[in-house]
Amino acid sequence: MARPSPFFHTAPTATADSLAILHLTRDNLLPIKLQTTADDGYAEGAVTNTRFGSFPHSTLIGLEWGSQVRASKVDTGTRGRKGKNAKKQEAAEDNGVAEQSNRKRKSDEQPEDTPASPTKKFKSSNGEKANGGKIDTARPPIEAGSGFIHILPPTPEAWTASLDHRTQVVYTPDYSYILQRLRARPGSAVIEAGAGSGSFTHAAARAVFNGYPGDSSKLSKRQSQGKVYSYEFHEPRVQTLRDEIRDHALEGIVELTHRDVCNEGFILQDNTPPSVDAIFLDLPAPWQALKHLSRSTPNSPLNPHSAVHLCTFSPCIEQVMATVSALRKAGWTEINMIEVQHKRIDVRRERVGLKEEGLRGVNASAASVDEAIGRLREVETKLSDFNASRAVTNSANREEITTNTSGQKHPSKQERLDRIKREAEERKLYKEGNLVHRTVPEVKTHTSYLVFAVLPRDWNEDDEKRCGEQYPVDDIMRGTPKDGKTESSASK
Amino acid sequence: MSRPHAFIRPDTWLFLRLPNETFRLIEIKLNTIIDVGKLGSFPSNLLVGRPYYHTYEILEKQDGEQYSRLRIVPQAELNAEAGLDEPVAPEESRGEPSPPGGNGVPDSFDLLAEDGTVLMKNNRLTIDDASRQQLSQTEIEELKKSAGGKEIIEKILANHAGLAEKTAFSKAKYTLRKHKKYLKRFSALPMDLGNLIDHIIDKEAPRIMEMREESLGLVGAWSHAHFSGIDQVDTNEEGRKVGGGRWLTVDDTGGLVVAGLAERMNILFPPTARDINDSPEPAPHESNEQGLQTNGDAKVAKPNSHRDFAIPSSTNSITLLHPAVQPNVSLLKYFGYDTSNPYLPPEEMEHPLHTHLKPLTWLQLLHPSEDPTYTEPEQASEETMAGWKSSKRGTYFKKRRRWERCKTIVDETREGGFDGLVIASHMEPVTILKHTVPLVRGGGHVVMYSPTIEPLVKVMDFYSKERRTAYIQHLARDEIPDEDDFPVDPRLLLATSVQTSRIRDWQVLPGRTHPLMTSRGGAEGFIFTARRVIPIEGGVEARGNFNAKKRKLVTSEEATTAASPAPVNALIDSVKEATEVKE
Repeated sequence: MARPSPFFHTAPTATADSLAILHLTRDNLLPIKLQTTADDGYAEGAVTNTRFGSFPHSTLIGLEWGSQVRASKVDTGTRGRKGKNAKKQEAAEDNGVAEQSNRKRKSDEQPEDTPASPTKKFKSSNGEKANGGKIDTARPPIEAGSGFIHILPPTPEAWTASLDHRTQVVYTPDYSYILQRLRARPGSAVIEAGAGSGSFTHAAARAVFNGYPGDSSKLSKRQSQGKVYSYEFHEPRVQTLRDEIRDHALEGIVELTHRDVCNEGFILQDNTPPSVDAIFLDLPAPWQALKHLSRSTPNSPLNPHSAVHLCTFSPCIEQVMATVSALRKAGWTEINMIEVQHKRIDVRRERVGLKEEGLRGVNASAASVDEAIGRLREVETKLSDFNASRAVTNSANREEITTNTSGQKHPSKQERLDRIKREAEERKLYKEGNLVHRTVPEVKTHTSYLVFAVLPRDWNEDDEKRCGEQYPVDDIMRGTPKDGKTESSASK
Repeated sequence: MSRPHAFIRPDTWLFLRLPNETFRLIEIKLNTIIDVGKLGSFPSNLLVGRPYYHTYEILEKQDGEQYSRLRIVPQAELNAEAGLDEPVAPEESRGEPSPPGGNGVPDSFDLLAEDGTVLMKNNRLTIDDASRQQLSQTEIEELKKSAGGKEIIEKILANHAGLAEKTAFSKAKYTLRKHKKYLKRFSALPMDLGNLIDHIIDKEAPRIMEMREESLGLVGAWSHAHFSGIDQVDTNEEGRKVGGGRWLTVDDTGGLVVAGLAERMNILFPPTARDINDSPEPAPHESNEQGLQTNGDAKVAKPNSHRDFAIPSSTNSITLLHPAVQPNVSLLKYFGYDTSNPYLPPEEMEHPLHTHLKPLTWLQLLHPSEDPTYTEPEQASEETMAGWKSSKRGTYFKKRRRWERCKTIVDETREGGFDGLVIASHMEPVTILKHTVPLVRGGGHVVMYSPTIEPLVKVMDFYSKERRTAYIQHLARDEIPDEDDFPVDPRLLLATSVQTSRIRDWQVLPGRTHPLMTSRGGAEGFIFTARRVIPIEGGVEARGNFNAKKRKLVTSEEATTAASPAPVNALIDSVKEATEVKE
């Protein structure tokens, strides 16, 4: 059996050579390939540096998925000085980061435990590697005092979130709805034209996956293998995506073809057409591709035995109108255009009140009318006391300054702030204030218009005749139905 | 190459969409009559074996025939009627907008006045009065008896005094309305989740917790449910089961969520009968009937194995926690699965859900010893049994099988290691999460749907960064965190997030493209997502720059001293330049 794809099977622990997603923050996910060795010069072997510290892969391999991982002390500084010719540029980059990391490290409370000697050892190991050798024993990593991340198994959602923007990315709210509407199920064959960054590719592959190719025991005999036929006309993107598909063990589930589908159609590399149930077009001019998506063209890529669902993804209304008009001419039905309006919601506690003065992330104005009145009274008393005390100072004994007419000492603002801060330590802030929600500050208000359509399977007189013979109605028409009962439509 | 909806199969459920856009849900059986109200009735055999998504017209009854016959209406004809075929066909020139002229305005906007000047047609002179239609209601009723739908429409249009004054758009709208009213047509749509949701949400939305298709799509995507492609569950070092394509669900949507997951896991649709070349072929009808009538009777069970309480599959399965004695998954019947009757007609295979859906009650999960089904029935010796009547022996084995199945499900569920948790329930979310989140494997997905946001806001709060910090501080001081303040362990979920999605429908017509004027309101539908994580024992110090806005000013020393013990994952996104990977 083929190596299982990390997207479809998650082993109990993270193993070497597996794809992992490092979760830094909710919006900052970092896909890495776990390696036992690497030739980038770290004493600890392969290392991933993040803004939350350095993580030698040896600290990640063997962990239960989802584990929280502490950062390690990694000497990123000396490595930059190695001056490897082949990696000059990269080294220059490293220097920048290394310096930064160094500065951080120096400020760590614990004493630096990577003095000159490891550096020397390190350099010699570099030499070894230049000669093609490997570091035999990676230095065991030492835990840093702070910093951590989580290690997660990959999913299409995590992959999508971690993508750099090679092209417009089809995000989860869109692709989840598209795949639902395209009725892409395990065993379906789907065309994706304009593979782009590969986010839809991964989600579609998960949707149609029903076993690995050549592994017929897993497939029900009656089912065909689910497959994504992916087309892309931009050569470098094809290359990147091809590498990803291989790395992610999706070969055989995703078939990537370098082709301009608008002009050349959907023929695969081996000059045969696919036979698909659903089509997703993320192209600038999807209507140009439609002429290849007809049941009557030679080498039609459509499954002749099922209705074919189609979705186009276009940002502009003009594209939609041209597409819809072309779809109508080509005999598609159930034509429908929608846009997905998606929002993420922030939930937080909002604390309002005078007792919050000087604290962070709060609204320190009066929480209620009563509190406002209380504060006003306080200010008034203070003022009158102040005036009174001034009168006293001018007229009489200086000793009376410290006490006031109301008999109380007014704390200074600094004292009050200090007291509030002290009290805040004792308060259960996590359950105080109002629990509120609002839409996140940045909203994607428009991604694209989605046009959906269905092309039913062809039906001709021969088909009708055959069906008529198979399911005769003559007896029924004469008023003698076999069962004699009327099936009234049960509508619920 | 068989697809569940390649053609209309006998004994399946499907929808007839009527001209007024309502759905009729019918179960189609051979040799019966389908009655579509005032549209007429026709023999089911005329629809069986035919393709989905076509529009069927109910023809006028022929002489000597009791029922109507059907005709598939070609899409071109439908477009022409709706005024959507752009090249205007002469016999269909009832005023459809023609392609835009040179000035970008469709020609049909223009009206030549007597003197040849071009006037713009508009609604200024429209007269809203029923008397404009010269046919009386009784005349139309008469017509309906004698003529077909098309003729009626022709006559009505011909007798409309003001038709010529209408703009092309308004004329097209009028014609379309008359078509909907008088043509006896329907479209046949397959039983799939999208159509089922559309149907239910119109009639009884609360039954599925007002879950729209886009919500179900999101729930499915974030649950990461998929076909697992493996035969065996992995075990971890302690020998406990981990993963294996097992999802845990709590479903108060009548089985919609289960169906959504099952579809993704390739266990929703029963294996289809043999379709050589995908041609419809005679279904084993007679045996069908028999199979259905002898519900659950042991006689029709496969002789070699009792399938009434089959031992469930260990992989690629859905475990369903339900509050009542029996799970409510009534919607699954539309996909051929009946909890009380696992048998399909003998010719066909067993429904995959029979072994891949594992229901258990909350009592069985939390207090299995109190559940009678979980208690092992007394074991009888061979000799004792030999003295029994065969019926008593049968009951004995049935009890044993039932217990065995229950025990397998309960023990496996309590062991945990699920790939994901999907919840759509009316119950208080925190009480569900408290018992179910620990059963999810590290890295597994947690998804919760709620029609309204309030329950999810509470969940977010119980897993908030501040609460987690406080919880960790309690643990660091060797205190047991207070149950009221910490009903759930806030360290177990990462990246908690709430989102909502709603689609907006548009009308796309030549020159008349705009969002629909009205659509369904109701519950917004919110989705909570998170990943199950494994916290490090004995707290962690966060690192990073906490004041995103001030990052240029903060020196490295300040950056570290400012570090609070707040967990890193909740940090505000900042310092992108520091997140470099070097491999």
